[in-house]
Amino acid sequence: MDPTGVSGARSNGGGATREATGLESLHLGDEFRQDNVGGGFTALLELPPTQAVKLLHFADSPSSSSQAATVTGIVPPLHHSYETLTFPSNSALLMERAARFSGETTTSSVPSTSSVKTEPADETNSSQAAVNNRSGKRKDSDKKTEILKKKKNKSSEENEKLPYVHVRARRGQATDSHSLAERARREKINARMKLLQELVPGCDKIQGTALVLDEIINHVQSLQRQVEMLSMRLASVNPRIDFNLDTILGSENGSLMDGSFSGTAMQVVWPHQVIETEQSYHQRQLQQPQQWPFDVLNQRAWGREEDQVHGNDSANLHPNQVKMEL
Amino acid sequence: MQPTSTMNEEFLKKWQMGLQMFRPSIDNASVSERKRAIKLSADVAMASLRKGTTCWSRALIQKTATEDNFLVRQMLSGIKEETLINKKLPKVMCHRKIVRRSKKILMRRKSRSAMEEVAAKAKKLVKRKTQGLRNVVPGGEFMSNNVLLIQETLDYIVSLQTQVNVMRSIVDAAEAGIER
Repeated sequence: MDPTGVSGARSNGGGATREATGLESLHLGDEFRQDNVGGGFTALLELPPTQAVKLLHFADSPSSSSQAATVTGIVPPLHHSYETLTFPSNSALLMERAARFSGETTTSSVPSTSSVKTEPADETNSSQAAVNNRSGKRKDSDKKTEILKKKKNKSSEENEKLPYVHVRARRGQATDSHSLAERARREKINARMKLLQELVPGCDKIQGTALVLDEIINHVQSLQRQVEMLSMRLASVNPRIDFNLDTILGSENGSLMDGSFSGTAMQVVWPHQVIETEQSYHQRQLQQPQQWPFDVLNQRAWGREEDQVHGNDSANLHPNQVKMEL
Repeated sequence: MQPTSTMNEEFLKKWQMGLQMFRPSIDNASVSERKRAIKLSADVAMASLRKGTTCWSRALIQKTATEDNFLVRQMLSGIKEETLINKKLPKVMCHRKIVRRSKKILMRRKSRSAMEEVAAKAKKLVKRKTQGLRNVVPGGEFMSNNVLLIQETLDYIVSLQTQVNVMRSIVDAAEAGIER
C-alpha cells in the first residue's frame, strides 16, 4: 500500500471538490484535469454526483470562474440537488474520461468506520470505491441509484444520534442492512486475521489470506506434533520418572516459570535453574511450602515400592531415595 | 498474546493431577500406553484451563472421551457432561459428481470477466484453506462462521504454546536428571 499515493489522491480529490462547489459554473474540465493528472475513474467519483454528471455533460469546456467557488458551499449542495441528475447516456464518454485519469488512486486503505466530516469522508470513500468500481461489477445504471442512496443514507446517518457503531456507507456500495452487516463481518475477520499474523512467527511478511491461513495451519500442526513427540519422550524416559515428576514439580514449579518462560513476571522468588541436582531438589523442597497434596500422592505413588519407606513424610524426600528411583 | 506464567502453572498443576489419577494403570503398561495417558492428561489439562468457554476446549474434552477416563475428565475439567455437547452443523450430503457438473454449467452461463475469475479462484482457495483449518482445530466443524473459527484458532494456538513449553521443560529436566 502506498500511503503517500493515496493521500495524494485524497488531497487531489479534496481540491477538486472544493473547486467544484460552484454548481452553476460547470466549466471545470481543465482545472479538474490539471489537478488530477493520473487520477483514475476514482477522481471522477470524488466529485459529488451533481458535479460529476454535469462535468460529463459539459465536457472539455475551459473554465476560470470556478476558482472563486467557496469551500463552505459544499455541504448544502450535496444534499439537495441530486434529484435533478440525469446520468449521461453515453457510457463511453464516462469510460473515456476514466481512462484519462488513471493510475493515482490504485490502492485502497482500510476505510475508517467512525463518522467523519463529509469532505474527508468523500476522500476516504473514493479510494475504496475505486477498487470496487474497478472490479467491474457495477453497471452504470446502478451507480446512479446507489450514489443517490448513499447520499441519502449519509444525510440520515448524520441526523440521527444513535448509540450504534456508525458505519459510513461508501460511495458506490449498496447501503442495505445486509451488505452493511457483511462489511462489518469482513472487518471483524480482517482484524482477527491481523492478530493471528502477529502471533504466528513469520506471517507478517506474507500477503494474501490463503497463504497466511496456510502458515497458520502449518504452525498448529507443528505444535501438535511437538506435543506428541514430547509426550513420547516423557513416556519413554523411564517408567519411574512419573513419580519424580511429582517431586520435581514441587521444586521446579518456580524454576520452570522463571527459567524457561520468557517475558513473564517474577511471581515467585525461586532459583532459576531448570536443571537441578537431587540435593538442591531436596533443599528447595524443604524451603518451599508444598502446594501439592503430596500425602495423597505419596501413598499412591510410592505404595507399590516396597523397598522405599516414605510414610507420610512428603516434604522430606531423601535425595538418595530419589536417586534410587532414577 | 504469549502464554503467561500463571497459565503455565495452572496447566502444570492440572496435568499433574491427571497423571496422578493414571498412576495405578501406568505402572507396567507399555510405552505407547504411557504416552497415551500422558498426552491425554495434558490435553484435558489444556482444555480445562478454559473452563468450557471456548468451543475447541469442549470439543477436545469430548474427543478424548472413553469410558474409563470419564472420571479423570470430569474431575479435571470440572465441567458437567451436558454442557460439553456441541451443536453439530448439519452436513449436507451431496453427490460430488452432480455438484461438480452443475457448478460447471453455472460457470458457463455466467458472463465472466478476468477480474471475476481471479476473485472467484481466490475465494475458492480461501475456502479450501479454512476447511483445512477446521480439520486441524478441534471442534472446527462446529464453528458456524469464520469469525468464530479465527477466534478459536487464536486461543488454541496460545494454549498449545503453553502446553508445549511446560512439557518441554519437564522433559528436559527429567532427561537431564536421568543422565546424572
